[in-house]
Amino acid sequence: MAYSEKVVDHFNNPRNVGSFKKEEDGVGTGIVGAPECGDVMKLQIKVQNDTIVDAKFKTFGCGSAIASSSLATEWLKGKTVDEAGKIKNTDIVQELNLPPVKIHCSVLAEDAIKAALADYKKKEDGKETVK
Amino acid sequence: MARSMCWHCQSEVAGEYFCERCVKVQPLSKEQDYFTCLGLPRLLTIDATGLENKFYEMSRSFHPDFYQTKTDTERTISLGNSALLNTAYRTLKDPIQRAEYLVRLEAGAVKEIRNQPPADLFEEILSLQDDLEEFRAADGQPSADLTALRTKLQTDREALERRQQDMESRLFDLFETWDRLQRQFEPTEAIRAKKESVLKEMRELLSNRTYVRNIINDLVATVG
Repeated sequence: MAYSEKVVDHFNNPRNVGSFKKEEDGVGTGIVGAPECGDVMKLQIKVQNDTIVDAKFKTFGCGSAIASSSLATEWLKGKTVDEAGKIKNTDIVQELNLPPVKIHCSVLAEDAIKAALADYKKKEDGKETVK
Repeated sequence: MARSMCWHCQSEVAGEYFCERCVKVQPLSKEQDYFTCLGLPRLLTIDATGLENKFYEMSRSFHPDFYQTKTDTERTISLGNSALLNTAYRTLKDPIQRAEYLVRLEAGAVKEIRNQPPADLFEEILSLQDDLEEFRAADGQPSADLTALRTKLQTDREALERRQQDMESRLFDLFETWDRLQRQFEPTEAIRAKKESVLKEMRELLSNRTYVRNIINDLVATVG
């Protein structure tokens, strides 16, 4: 099985690798894993005024998982929190031309986005109750 | 395995793998699971010798070498059966693969066993990955930091290997629990619930084991 050019590109030049401090204001962190292959993915968003101003990821896994999370961070930047929640794994599959055996990598990226958003919302809600 | 009708002579098939009337080989049903294929009950403790003998016996019945001079249909059946048999044997021979397969098989019956993702384990793996990255970046340039890092990573690896062993021994304990429950003639509601929880724990152990296995492999490949 050959990887598509886009996967290879994201794999060789991953965008937005790194991390933010978890405790930092406006940062949402999602850490997820795929038991099928043992891949682990961390995806973080930084939100200001309901817009994602920056996103970072760290993925420990195969080329498709790295490419999926790299692409996800690119897409997240500039989106509002609501828009980000609408990113579907099928969009990633299409963009990267993932073969059927690698679809779970895109599912992992979608789960990571959801987890990061949920973490961000939880932190925000927590703040309001403190006030 | 009684099949309804022989593909060749259309008579009722009573024999196990061959039609008794026309002696043609019969295709193994693609729907049957690997346990059924190898004539085993759905238990996790397996007699390895018995399994091997059964595999050889069936291999002799289906091996493509014996079908060289037969018709196309028979050759196709021989290939299909051999392929199924090989996968079934390979899967059931290895205890981890056997358990993974059983959990998958039973997942249909026990709907919705979704596990809590092991967040702590993920954090640990990611931080180990960071250390590994640092180690790789140092590119073998000797320094006190690198020596310390190597020692730390080796200690981590030993701890992870112990954890993998613990997971496996717990898993093998569950094999016995599962088999005991599976042997109950009349499964009550309580037994069904117990089985569900055993499957759930096994699935969790198996997936955590995969994560641990992966990071150990990476540690071994990088640090040695």
